[in-house]
Amino acid sequence: MLVQRGMLWSIVLLILGSGLWGTSLVFSDEPLAQEEKKKGVSVRLYLTDEPLPANDPMSTVWNSVPSSEFSLAPQVHWQDRIQDATVKSVKVRGLHNGHDLAILLEYQDPTEDPADAAALEFMVGEKKAHFAHGQKMLQVEGGPVNIWYWKKENGKALDMSAKGFKTLRSQDHQDVSATGMWQDGTWRVVFSRTLKTEDGHDTQIEPGRWINVAFAFWDGKIVDGEVKEKGSQKAVSSWWSLRAEPPQDNSIYGYVLLGIGIAVGFELVLVRKLRKGQKA
Amino acid sequence: MKNPIMKAIIGLVCVYVFLKFILPLFTAPIPSTLIFLYLSLTLTGIMLFQTMSGGSLDAFMGPIHRFLAGWDGQPGPSKMARLLVLVVFPLLVGWQTYTKLAPSDLPPAENRTIHPAPPGEFVGLSNPVPKTETNIQIGKGFYAAKCSPCHGANFDGKGPASVGFNPPPANFSDPGTIAQLQESYLFWRIKKGGVGLPVEGMPWKSAMPRWEVELSDDMIWKIIMGEYDGAHQAPRTWEEEE
Repeated sequence: MLVQRGMLWSIVLLILGSGLWGTSLVFSDEPLAQEEKKKGVSVRLYLTDEPLPANDPMSTVWNSVPSSEFSLAPQVHWQDRIQDATVKSVKVRGLHNGHDLAILLEYQDPTEDPADAAALEFMVGEKKAHFAHGQKMLQVEGGPVNIWYWKKENGKALDMSAKGFKTLRSQDHQDVSATGMWQDGTWRVVFSRTLKTEDGHDTQIEPGRWINVAFAFWDGKIVDGEVKEKGSQKAVSSWWSLRAEPPQDNSIYGYVLLGIGIAVGFELVLVRKLRKGQKA
Repeated sequence: MKNPIMKAIIGLVCVYVFLKFILPLFTAPIPSTLIFLYLSLTLTGIMLFQTMSGGSLDAFMGPIHRFLAGWDGQPGPSKMARLLVLVVFPLLVGWQTYTKLAPSDLPPAENRTIHPAPPGEFVGLSNPVPKTETNIQIGKGFYAAKCSPCHGANFDGKGPASVGFNPPPANFSDPGTIAQLQESYLFWRIKKGGVGLPVEGMPWKSAMPRWEVELSDDMIWKIIMGEYDGAHQAPRTWEEEE
């Protein structure tokens, strides 16, 4: 009787175990997770062994990199706000090779103007920063932001920092490069940098770790003698997620084989015991 | 029906069908994790029941024992089914190990509290502005100028600037937003904006301006009136809660 009970509980474990595994397979994808997947709401820097097209926004390499698209809004969060901005959305592609990264921003702007500009924004350090230049939050102590700014007439990137309005400044150490090309109503601007820098004012990108990113664009078109969008008048997004793809971890396959081995061993012992029990 | 295994299977299927398809006709759909929990409990109950006496134990487990152990002269289909179970189980374990260990390609989930508790000084304030048609119309005018770019001319959260922001602006015509809140809560949210949220509200993501910089308290109270009127909602009041 005791042996039978033992076997019974082994079988119970087997059934419950496979039931748990089986049903968790069925139940693992909640509808919400599926929706999030469809939206593609993050920037992925894909790992590559090839040279990065770090200074070439028109490189054909970019065509093979999947893009994520983010809607933009006119900047209405603080003064001076605008009700309509030229750039409505941006397609983002990213690559890295374990040491350097390149991010391509592609967006529609009907005219090429000297004051056209684009920027990426990141949080710096562990403290969360408000997407509007790391402005002060009332109940939460925030951190600074790192802004990578490119302007057509400068022809290069500016590596900048801010912690609150009117604190935006260019950094002493310039670590970012950028190149922009306008063709047929589309800007393609590529930013590049090393994943990590020695500068404490910079965002640090560690493969496998999610960080936050936000975007901003200015249409430098001259309207009635004035630049259409400048300063806080721009197209913006709030925070989205960005991650540099981690290198493939092959140890996972070892664990899979181990799991299969244990399951087979368990089956062998169980069947042997059952056969012995039947004979007895 | 004498076969206890079939009874157990039918029992589980019935519970599943009831929870998944019948109960949601009367109430909200049940999350699948909860259905899974109920099914596990049902199965445990069945197992306990079947192991209560030696007789029921044999009747329930006997066929399973025989099936898993196999026997000489076992008919073809039964033999195949047994082989299938013995092969599929380790594969299932392998697959499950893979899915649990494979690095997720999705950003980490964020549990943002949509309506966090307001600071004490904003609890229970009543709107000092008389609720007259003129004040409501003034409020709607301010709303059109300051709020509608994001929250929408129709109070539905679908203004032209709404698309760029994550989280999106609140939809006031949804009964789950301002209809659930008191006027004092809206006063706090408009006055202090996104940056006034506590940590669980994730203030770093909110594009809601801190309107106290640009609007007087009187204007904010009028906007609140205009908002409720335009969205065809009424504020939650203390009287209703008592």
